[in-house]
Formats: sequence, C-alpha cells, structure tokens
Amino acid sequence: MMSYLFPMALRSAWNRRFTLGLTLISIALSVTLLLGVEQLRHDARQAFEQSVSGTDLVIGARTSPVQLMLYAVFHIGEATNNIHWQAYQEIAANPAVAWSIPVSLGDSHRGFPVLGTTAAYFDHFRYGEHQPLQLRKGKRFVGIFDAVIGAEVAAKLGYRVGDHIVLTHGSGGLAGQRHDDKPFTVTGILAPTGTPVDRTVHVSLAAIEAIHLDWQGGARMPGFDIPAEYVQKFDLTPKAVTAILIGLKNRAGVFRMQRQVHSYTQEPLLAVLPGVALDQLWQVVGVAEKVLLAVSVMVVIVGLCGLVAVILASLNERRRELAIVRSLGARPADIFALLTIEGLFIAFAGTLLGIVLLYGLNMGLAPVIQSHYGIVMTTHAVSMDEVRLIAAIAGVSLLASLVPGYGAYRLSLADGLTPKV
Amino acid sequence: MNDIFRGQVVALVICMLMAGNAMALDGNYNNGDRLIAPNGSDDSTYRQTEWEELMPGSWIKSRQFTMPELSTMDDGDPRAQEALMRMREAWANAPIETGMIHARIRIAGFIVPLESSKHEITEFLLIPYFGGCIHVPPPPANQIIHVVPKAPLKGMQSMDAVWVSGVLESRHFDSDIGSASYYISAVKVAPYTEH
Repeated sequence: MMSYLFPMALRSAWNRRFTLGLTLISIALSVTLLLGVEQLRHDARQAFEQSVSGTDLVIGARTSPVQLMLYAVFHIGEATNNIHWQAYQEIAANPAVAWSIPVSLGDSHRGFPVLGTTAAYFDHFRYGEHQPLQLRKGKRFVGIFDAVIGAEVAAKLGYRVGDHIVLTHGSGGLAGQRHDDKPFTVTGILAPTGTPVDRTVHVSLAAIEAIHLDWQGGARMPGFDIPAEYVQKFDLTPKAVTAILIGLKNRAGVFRMQRQVHSYTQEPLLAVLPGVALDQLWQVVGVAEKVLLAVSVMVVIVGLCGLVAVILASLNERRRELAIVRSLGARPADIFALLTIEGLFIAFAGTLLGIVLLYGLNMGLAPVIQSHYGIVMTTHAVSMDEVRLIAAIAGVSLLASLVPGYGAYRLSLADGLTPKV
Repeated sequence: MNDIFRGQVVALVICMLMAGNAMALDGNYNNGDRLIAPNGSDDSTYRQTEWEELMPGSWIKSRQFTMPELSTMDDGDPRAQEALMRMREAWANAPIETGMIHARIRIAGFIVPLESSKHEITEFLLIPYFGGCIHVPPPPANQIIHVVPKAPLKGMQSMDAVWVSGVLESRHFDSDIGSASYYISAVKVAPYTEH
C-alpha cells in the first residue's frame, strides 16, 4: 500500500506547488534562523574562551571586570583609564609573578586595533589550549618602528614583510589623525590563531611613546615636529600602559595577588581572573541568548502552523480528489497517511533546505564576521546539540502533520462518495 | 474540529517542553555560604574530608594563638587591634597541613575556573565558600586546592558546587613566603549533592 501512497502524495503536492512551496520556504527560513542562532552563540563563546590561556590575572584601571576583559583581551571598546608605568614595574617585580606582559591600546590601523607591547608578549602569551604565538613569516619587532601583524590583517590588506604602514590615532576615521610622519615597517606576520590576535597590529611600547612625542591632547602640536630619525634622543620609556597580563608561579596564589593589586594605594586598579570574568559575561548575555532562542523556536512553530493551515485549507478543494481516491479502493486510513506524508515531506524538505541555506550563509558571512568581530564561524559537521534541535523540529513536524491527516480522515468518513461540492 | 484543536495544543506543549529543556536550575547560594556536611559518602576509597582538616594543626598548636586578655583593656586600646592584625597576618600566611599530603580525599567546594576549552573546564581552583572575589576576603593558601580533573568538566561555570575526589598533593614554589599549596589531580568531579 505504502509504495503507491508516497508517489501519489508527492504528485498531489506538486499540483499545489506554489502554495506549498511558499510554506516550504517559510519553514526553511525559520530553521535557518534557529540553527544559525545556536551556531553563532556556540562559536562566539568558543572564540571568547580560546582567546586567552594560561593567564592568571588581567590587570587594568578600576572598571567592570567584563569591560576590562573586553578591551584588554578582545580589543573591543575603550579603556576607561590607563595605569602608570610605576604600577606596572611594581607588579612585575612582585616575587609571586612569573611573567608579565604590559599592553598599550588606543591607536588603530585602517580599522584594526594597534597593540603596543614588549617581547614578553611573544614569549608568554598563550591562547586556545596553551598554544604559543608563532610567526608565519619574518621576525619580531626589533627596531622602534617595526610592526608584527596578525594573519587577518595581512590577508585582508594584502601586506607582506617589508611593507610600510601608517598608524592612526584613536579608532580611526578622521584622516587628520594619522601618524604619517612616522611610518612603520612590517617585520613579521603571525600564524592564524582564530583569536583577536589575528586582527591586531603589534608594535613596541617605545614606538607608541615615539609617535605621540609631538602630540598633545590628542592632536599634533603645530610647529613642533620631531622627525622619525630623532626620536631616539628622547626618553621613550612609557608613562602609562592600558593593561597588564600576568602569570603566577603558583596558580593557587591568584587570590592573594588579586588582593594585593586591589589594595594598591597609588592608583585604583582592578585584577580579574579571565575565566571568572568570562562567566560573568555569559551570565549577562545569557538572558538575551535565551530570549533569542525562544524567539527562534516561536518562528519555527509559526512556520509549522502555517504548513498545517495551508494543508487544512486545501482539504475543502480536494474533497473531489479524495472521494475519487476512496472510490478506487483507498481506505480512510490511507487518506490519513496521504495527508500526513504530504505534511511531513514539506516539513522535512523545508528543514533540509534550511540547513543548506545555513551552510551557504556561513560561507558567505564568515569572513565578514571574522574581520569585524574576530569570531571564527566554522563550517563544522553537525554537532550533537544541532542534531537534537533538528530531531525536535522533526518530532514537532510529525505531530503537526498528523493534524491535517486526521482532518482528512474525518472528512472522508463523513463524505463517502457523495461530495457536496 | 475539537480533535484538531487538541492535536495542535499537544504539539505546542511538546515543543515548549523541548525548548525549555535548555534552561537548567542551579542552587541559590549567598556570599560566604559553605556547603552542608552530609553523613557518610558513597565513594569508599576516598575519605570524606572537611576543609578544617586542611588547616595546619601542628602549626596552630606551636604558635599558641590566644587573644590577649580583652577584659583588662580599655576601649580603643591599640593592643587589641594590633593583636588582631598580627593574628590575621599570620593566618593569611599559614602553611599547609603536611600530614594530609598523599591522603585520598573527597571534598566539596566551589569552582573558580582557571582554564577552559571548548566549553569544558580543564583546570580550576576549589574554595570552601561561595563568593565573588571582591566582596568576600580570599581564603588563605591552605584553604585553596588547585584541581586538574582527569576528564574536563562539562556544563559547569564559576561558583558551581562540586565534589572532588583524588589524592591530595603539595606543590612548592619559590615565592616570597616560600609556602606550598595543595594540588589534586582529580579522579572524579561530580556536581554537589548532599550525599
């Protein structure tokens, strides 16, 4: 019996392909939305988590822990304040500290943030699962105006070792704010990491001091230019840094170190454990995530309700068709199966189309998302969570398809062979 | 038409249940809360341990901590405050209890994640009480355990309560006070229940 029900249902559906096609597209879009939201959430968390590893404390001016993590590690947003060089020296000299990396933020290059730091960055910074930074080409900065760029910067702007770049004061935009009297030379390009490091331009702390020597209050001092070759005559020790990443000899001593930083009397400092700050970020974002998930689920339900409504609405026009089928020997149970198969087929085809759409969007939008937000969208195989979601959609589709099936079943029992058309 | 309506309601309810599956219930703790000590444990190879046992018993005895006679002092006597500060200082720098090293213990505490990868915690600190690190003073070195679980923890986050089972070890570092700290390579980490 089932062998002819299937082709019959499909051919009948093909007859009403325009209406059913629209419903299929609406289901496809809702599935793309649901799976896309889940995947974006998953990949964003993954990207944030693997951005820093092995760092015990991130220290900066006193602000909220989440904000400190966002600007010091992910280079998103602005620092509320800087911390004095003396504070960095005292922290670095603390006997409990194994290594320390000072970082200075504020400048940019064509939309990418510029990070001023020391050689300790390349020695001690870890990401992912304790992976160190590697240079794909070239070497670290040695001279004052050397720069090491991330993989994304090199790929997007087409830079190679030896190219000259000009930094912009602030986060870019105003052309008059360029440090074009002091160009930098790209000496190294880092291997891709899948973290904000990829979209960062790294220079030495001395360089940050040097380019701001003849600047005052965020603008160049008129009539007082210091050419690039004369910067060495000045003291290029930094006056302030934006943040410090430290690693301790004893990881269990992190609370004690944090206490010491918080009790520092010279200026207000904040020390955060990266893992704890990230968890706080997820708690804040978690509410929005749940709302987004609920909305996506609603949209899928709406799509399926639309499918049920369309098939139910068509039942009236199909009374003659169903009566003919009955007269040819089909039982009411067959009619039930016919309608259910039709509903199920549209729902499953819609889900499949939705998944295909998602992969297509992924491939199309991934580079854009990565270059703007540093989040890597991987086109990975379907994960367990996604399988569960798809199974849930399939389950609800099955339930939804039973409804028109049952409706047709009741109709065919009542109508018999005398349809009141 | 009633049947169709019922069918739709059933579909809706089941969908809601599936969506609501994602939301989890967690325990509500306040700053400073400690976990209740239950009776007995189901894991016989690891002895259930209290955090007080990790404090250095012999060291406490040797220092003979006693408060000075408060009844003999006037109000605002600086000696009282001094004695309190000295005791707090000594307590914060207290060493670990060496007698507990190599003991197979099962202890309950709160997680402070150190390393995460792929939404799993691969390294964390275990502390005796609940509390964000700003509002509640941090525990001394002998009340913190650095835990590396054999299998990474899934679905856990900062300040979740867990049972940790493993062999207690010590790690020595050349820091300013030259003190050591506790370390467990945990065989088993399970969510906290009162058993």
